[in-house]
Amino acid sequence: MSFIKDFIEKETISRRNFMFATAAGLGGVAAMSTLGGRALAAGKEPTVAWSYRNRSNPYWNEIVSGGEAFIESIGRSKDDLVHLINEGSSEKSLADVKAILAKTKGNLALAIDTNDAPNARPVVEAVKESGAYISTIWNKTDDLHPWDFGDNYVSHMSWSDIGPAEQTARILFEKMGGKGAIVGLGGIASNVPAIERKQGLLNAMKDFPDIKLLDYQAADWDTQKANQIMSSFLTRFGDDIKGVHCANDTIGYGVLEALRAEGLAGEIPIVTYDGNPQAVELVMKGDIEATVFTNPHWGGGISAALAYYAAIGAFKPSEEPHEHREFYGPTILITRKDAEEFKAKYLDSVPKYDWKDFWGPANGQIKYG
Amino acid sequence: MSNFVSKEKLQKWAPLLVLIALIFVFSFANSNFLSIRNFARIGIASTPALMIAVGVTYIIIMGSIDLSMEGAVAVSAVLFATLFIAFGGSLASWAWLAVPVTLILGSLFGLINGLVHVKLKIPSFMASLSMGFVGIGLSLLVTGGDRIRVEDPLFRSLLTERYFGFPLMVHCALVALVIGWFIQCYTRIGRNFYAVGGGEDLAHASGLNVQKVRVLGFMIAGVFYALGALFAVAQIGIAETATGYNLMFVSITSVVVGGTALWGGNGGVWNSLIGVLIVNVINNGMIVVGLPRYLQDGVLGLLVIVAVVLSTDRKSLAFVK
Repeated sequence: MSFIKDFIEKETISRRNFMFATAAGLGGVAAMSTLGGRALAAGKEPTVAWSYRNRSNPYWNEIVSGGEAFIESIGRSKDDLVHLINEGSSEKSLADVKAILAKTKGNLALAIDTNDAPNARPVVEAVKESGAYISTIWNKTDDLHPWDFGDNYVSHMSWSDIGPAEQTARILFEKMGGKGAIVGLGGIASNVPAIERKQGLLNAMKDFPDIKLLDYQAADWDTQKANQIMSSFLTRFGDDIKGVHCANDTIGYGVLEALRAEGLAGEIPIVTYDGNPQAVELVMKGDIEATVFTNPHWGGGISAALAYYAAIGAFKPSEEPHEHREFYGPTILITRKDAEEFKAKYLDSVPKYDWKDFWGPANGQIKYG
Repeated sequence: MSNFVSKEKLQKWAPLLVLIALIFVFSFANSNFLSIRNFARIGIASTPALMIAVGVTYIIIMGSIDLSMEGAVAVSAVLFATLFIAFGGSLASWAWLAVPVTLILGSLFGLINGLVHVKLKIPSFMASLSMGFVGIGLSLLVTGGDRIRVEDPLFRSLLTERYFGFPLMVHCALVALVIGWFIQCYTRIGRNFYAVGGGEDLAHASGLNVQKVRVLGFMIAGVFYALGALFAVAQIGIAETATGYNLMFVSITSVVVGGTALWGGNGGVWNSLIGVLIVNVINNGMIVVGLPRYLQDGVLGLLVIVAVVLSTDRKSLAFVK
């Protein structure tokens, strides 16, 4: 039936169709509830939970704020969202999931990052066994697919960082006039996004033979550490450094302050990643050349929404095409040209998303290779 | 040789010799290392860690341990930034009040830490570790996970203004270090730290209120943690829950590498200065000579062991726990 898909397509075609679709949608939901959709038969709304690392990290904070925005959109209080905090432990992540499955007797819509890829399978299997619904982001092994689990494994979303990191690198090189030496500061060396963002830089360098990479060091996503590495780079390479490629915004802040201490802020171009509000402001000021926004707020909200709407039977995941089960999240490049417009659109007020538009901002099916 | 240089003397000066040797090696590998500009960079990186190390030195002299610094720094940093912005956002306005208030808050944090340790009879290791988590949680509550930027140019002049080639914050830290040294050598509480660390039973039997000394020790440490937080915010211009990240490892390593023994009763703040400089010279030097990242952690660990072996007298110890 996949009326949701039609719903979205038709929404863009005409208002008249839109109204028909809405009517059909409501009818569908009503029909399902009388037929006794599993969740509704229990007579209770499913519990909505988000399982993630912790909230002190700005990225995860954004993710969860999206989850909260979603749960408010279905007329429930923000506090109704259950937070399962794994603190970077896969064991805790799995134990938490099993505990909440037991507590809710499977009447659960779960959005989760399982902390590492191998942990995704036991989590998904536990969810499937108790008949709950799950959406994952970031971590899963390549052989684990939502369509192998019927309806219960609703979706997986990830982000490919190679392309956008390559674009920021190109912006950096063009700003440098296509020649000169750069240094790079990466994330925790074994993290997938850290590897991809470095790869993006290396890809862009192939087209710029006059750009030389002096050194690339892991700054572990940490501002202080990045600050110290950048100061040491300044000692080692001095005036040779004409540009800096950073794996994320937090690293960029540390680099910028190391330059500021030497009176070099704004003199040496920097590119970063993540599109944090402060980074966007720094792009507007000209302290940072470019950053990339991955819209974690939307990602966090839509993952919870997908699991929830599948749980209440509003759509049937198994009837959706593969690109609706495994897809890339959005990436938006922010440069000095469009920073202001971006800020107005996404930051000055968090846009109100239509949490039923599951795949609108998504970026195509995940490719393995 | 032993006639001229006794073993104790050599051990006493070993950390400084290690530091000089390191500077020599790194300068040999890359001549840029030996420059005022680079020393200023090492100075900036060392400043917050030095304050934390001075604070925890007192605790370690007492034979206790304090692991709450990451939480204490996080909570001090975000409360400072919040107050600073609430009071006007510039040192020229009433916002300067945020500085003393933060130092008082730091001492309060230390007070609670000390009371939990002494009154509830929880080992300092566990009490302070738990208080550290409380601090992290508290800072998270204040910020909601966001960063607070402190952009006041006057406050940031701690980083940007230089005298004799070194930023203002380095000079301020040295003043704080001298105050720390004064507390250690010329006040009753400072001498009592050594009494407690050298032999707690003896100190108690001599009529010393050991509990009070311990609580006061944690309070003084708390003030230095708050100072460290101020410098950390001045350095990066950002206050966040992660502000204290990694300072626990760096500060305790520095204290031990500097020659203050974990079993208490000896060492002091000057040792900690040398220790902080050793750790930061290693960190800076490894990148300056271009050591690959996967070797850096290993090399740091090995150098720390070498420094401890050289600088502490372990012959008299019956057992190591």
